[in-house]
Amino acid sequence: MRALEPQLNFIESFHSYVSLFGRSLRASFAYRASTVTSLVTAVFMYAIPMLVWRQVYAQNPNLGISKAKMFPYLLLAGCVNYAMGMSVEFRIGQRIRQGLIATDLLKPVDFQIAQGIQALSDGLFNGALGMVFFFCGYLVLGKDILPASLFSFGLFLVSFLLAFLIQYFVCFVFVQGAFYTYSGYGIFAARGALQQTFSGMIAPLTFYPPFLKAAGEWLPFRHIIYTPVSIYMGWAQGAEALDLILQQLAWMTGLYLLGKFLMIKSLKQLEVQGG
Amino acid sequence: MDSALQVEKLSKSYKRRVRQPGLLGAAKSLFSSQTEELQAVKNISFSIKRGERVGLIGENGAGKSTTLKMLTGIIVPTGGTLEVLGRVPWQERRQLALNIGVVFGQRPQLLWDIPVRETFRLLKTMYRIPDDVYQVTYTEAVKRLSLEPLLATPVRQLSLGQRMRCDLAAALLHAPAVVFLDEPTIGLDLSVKEQVREYITDIQEKFGITLLITTHDLKDITETCDRLLLLDKGSLLFDGSIKAFEQKYASDRRIVAEVRKPVEAEERATLEKEIIKLGGTLKEAEGHKIVVEHREEGAAPALTQLLLSRLQVVDLNLEKTDIETIVTRIYRQPVGKD
Repeated sequence: MRALEPQLNFIESFHSYVSLFGRSLRASFAYRASTVTSLVTAVFMYAIPMLVWRQVYAQNPNLGISKAKMFPYLLLAGCVNYAMGMSVEFRIGQRIRQGLIATDLLKPVDFQIAQGIQALSDGLFNGALGMVFFFCGYLVLGKDILPASLFSFGLFLVSFLLAFLIQYFVCFVFVQGAFYTYSGYGIFAARGALQQTFSGMIAPLTFYPPFLKAAGEWLPFRHIIYTPVSIYMGWAQGAEALDLILQQLAWMTGLYLLGKFLMIKSLKQLEVQGG
Repeated sequence: MDSALQVEKLSKSYKRRVRQPGLLGAAKSLFSSQTEELQAVKNISFSIKRGERVGLIGENGAGKSTTLKMLTGIIVPTGGTLEVLGRVPWQERRQLALNIGVVFGQRPQLLWDIPVRETFRLLKTMYRIPDDVYQVTYTEAVKRLSLEPLLATPVRQLSLGQRMRCDLAAALLHAPAVVFLDEPTIGLDLSVKEQVREYITDIQEKFGITLLITTHDLKDITETCDRLLLLDKGSLLFDGSIKAFEQKYASDRRIVAEVRKPVEAEERATLEKEIIKLGGTLKEAEGHKIVVEHREEGAAPALTQLLLSRLQVVDLNLEKTDIETIVTRIYRQPVGKD
């Protein structure tokens, strides 16, 4: 028998990614205690802003958005945010710090896609758990939480998928910093702070002061939560919704290419930690 | 294409920030931009033919792992050229990854949270391993490395030794054309080390794999390799067969005799002259112990005969410096580049 020297080809690479996705999804079930902890944390994280808003509405019911729309928005924003939970910076940052990135780079798969596959399995797992919040919300808020129309729901699914990809590519761009700092923690915190401010998770962006709103227009974060939820709620419809989706598509493509470019730069100066 | 690896004047240097000692120094270094350049690998050149088995040795920090990382394409050289299977590793890393197998003893390559068997299946798809080849490599690995009880265990629950065996199996599953093993027997007990070396040798012979091993356990080299590369502070100090290495650096072969009666001073002087004539040196003649050293390979029979004819020899031992002693000596006292 002779040693093998196969060539890369697209179809077989695709099979590799499908296979990797299956294994990654399976690995998501490995830490039950951690899953429960993150669910409990999320309950507090999403419930507290709602309690604050309830108090605000009690003092001033005329805020521009009715209470009947605000609470479904907050709940949906929470569910979308939970589904976007991917440990990209943490995972890659840790592997860079410990030198384990070497073993990732020795696999015959594209690093950016392979990490994306793992993020997708995180997303699916978290998305399924996010549905628990949605059904709990439905029991409390009733039909106010349902999509504005079937068409809105269809557009929401497209927008949600693009939001997920934007989220991944944003994380991937940010984590490039770990190749220089050898830690993913600061990067994770920086991206998290920006995202929390500009994604619309804590409040619809219409509530923001003009300068913050203007800054948000130049950043991709609003397309991660505010855009898909606005489409779901019917706040953006027809041409406006399509325009938002096109913007998402543009951000996604730009961020994908930026991540690819930065990765090439990062690898050129990579020092694998440890012997 | 006869050559599997071609390395020409390969260099790698790193820039390090200079850190001051102590807490105050650590705080100062946050604001300092002072750096120093470290030359990890300096202008090394060598070539390895297909099917060759080569050991790469050197002290800690000699540049072994850095060389291996450049050969596998995960770091980019700062100077020189290199090709593995006709490809420039860092430019064609993904394609090359398909044709090489790598074990970094300190870094697990299996998926951490899923059972070993699942990783093997994933690798079968990822490396496009044909069924007939997989049947051979998988079955052999499971049998020879005693993996059966480990297959259903998540990797994170394996001991270092168990994980090393699984990592080795994973690196060889796709019968790659070139295999790089960095400390493949680290953390293994003696019997398992033997098992691993035998497995490496057999699978290498079966598929004609080109093998490059770095290790601190020189038995890994003597039992699996024919050729040796010795790195010292980033430079290549020796490149040749293990036999040539022994001939070059094993300065002494010893004949140790135990005699019934201590040698008198006068008798010693005569004996010493005759030993010198035969190409040896009388190193010791105190009490009942006589030690003669010689460099030439064929001098032992004549020297032995001389001792037997002149002295009342009770016991006799012929000793040759083993490779481990030679390497330790080189590490302690560099002999300089050829």
